[in-house]
Amino acid sequence: MRIDASKCIGCGQCRPFCIMQVIDFTRSEKGKVHCVVNEDECVDCEICYRAKVCPVDALKQPETQWPRSIRGTFSNPLAIHKETKVPGRGTEEMKTNDITNRYERGFAGMSAELGRPGIGARLRDAEKVFMALAPLGVEFEPQNPLTNLLEDPKTGKMKEEVLNEKVLSCIVETIIPLDRILEVLDAMEKVAKTIDSVFSIDLVCRADEDLSVPSLKVMEAGHRWYTRNGKTNIGLGHLNVKGADR
Amino acid sequence: MDSLSRDYVIFAMSAKGFNSENSRYALTEFLKIVDKYHWVNMGDMKTGGYYLVGKEAIMEGVQDTSIVHGVFTSKEDLRGAVRELKAADLGVSITISGILDNVNEVLLDNNIKRHTVEVSLGVRGRTDRLPEEELLEVTTMCGHGMVSQTFVRQMLIDIKKGKRTPEEAANYLATPCVCGVFNPRRAQELLEELVDVWCMDEN
Repeated sequence: MRIDASKCIGCGQCRPFCIMQVIDFTRSEKGKVHCVVNEDECVDCEICYRAKVCPVDALKQPETQWPRSIRGTFSNPLAIHKETKVPGRGTEEMKTNDITNRYERGFAGMSAELGRPGIGARLRDAEKVFMALAPLGVEFEPQNPLTNLLEDPKTGKMKEEVLNEKVLSCIVETIIPLDRILEVLDAMEKVAKTIDSVFSIDLVCRADEDLSVPSLKVMEAGHRWYTRNGKTNIGLGHLNVKGADR
Repeated sequence: MDSLSRDYVIFAMSAKGFNSENSRYALTEFLKIVDKYHWVNMGDMKTGGYYLVGKEAIMEGVQDTSIVHGVFTSKEDLRGAVRELKAADLGVSITISGILDNVNEVLLDNNIKRHTVEVSLGVRGRTDRLPEEELLEVTTMCGHGMVSQTFVRQMLIDIKKGKRTPEEAANYLATPCVCGVFNPRRAQELLEELVDVWCMDEN
């Protein structure tokens, strides 16, 4: 995001909306106070623009080229990832598991959502997480746009040119056998000590016929904490969507 | 009861490459069913949330790639919406975010077996960079992190100064959340608690 200094009147109305807190006041050579975006720290989420609070239309999102373009596609929920056609972080995760069977019985989805909540992350931190998990032989979800930025899925090395890009959040997404949940969790906790951001860890699993959730049993047996709230896919999806034959 | 027990997000999407073609009609019907109950926010990732673009724009803007959401504060409303959604047999995938046991209870009332469950195992890394827990409770209601901690602080100051009521502040906080999953009534409850006990730097 960029602020047109010639238009900006320095009212600061846009500043509270900035998640990264990178809009500051400055003074031009002529002494006029205006706002300025620290573009290196900005993630191009466009929230300041969408807030429609600028009285003089001074906010403008410049057209970005690769690899800067990564910022907007990962950080602006209205943008669609061209690889997956999914908006947001670009992955359907468990939300369509009743259709895709992405997480089969006996397996769990385990993900580290970097930058969340509200801190943002450089992709070099994502690479650290990838490289910590790759030696464990985990499968990185191919239908996730972050996986597409890997140079080598076997080592977790990402493309060099993307490492300094910063996003609001992105998800390192794995699918693992149930009996490896604690091992992967330990690896995530270890690598967390080396990064300059945060990540939230999510655990996905298909419920059994008796409605119990095997991944939660693993967590309880290992005396590990998990939230009492979460997402539940209620299993009403099927291939013949109503009205699709119109 | 804590505020979390008054926060249920129900949302629908189709699976790309499986059943997404022409799914916009079913996704629109999903929103119409949600609209029959006492929702406190709704939205579509393709268009925006209710507090920014309004209901009409959301309803008219649904696309095959949309992810459409509604937010309820009571299990009763959730139960009713789920009952109708099951009967409508839309075919799109439906997910509910909320306290797992409460959601499961609503599903069992409707003879629905939960399919897949996701929980959080917490936050790791530089947690020293995070804002106060009380602010996070408000900001994290938007899963994409579109509600900034500074915005919440500003609203608390506005309430304290009498510029806005807690209700107005909470509704305003909902505007950046493009999916429409931010629960303004829960936010109002949290703001009302915070504004009395926080000593704020107003500079």
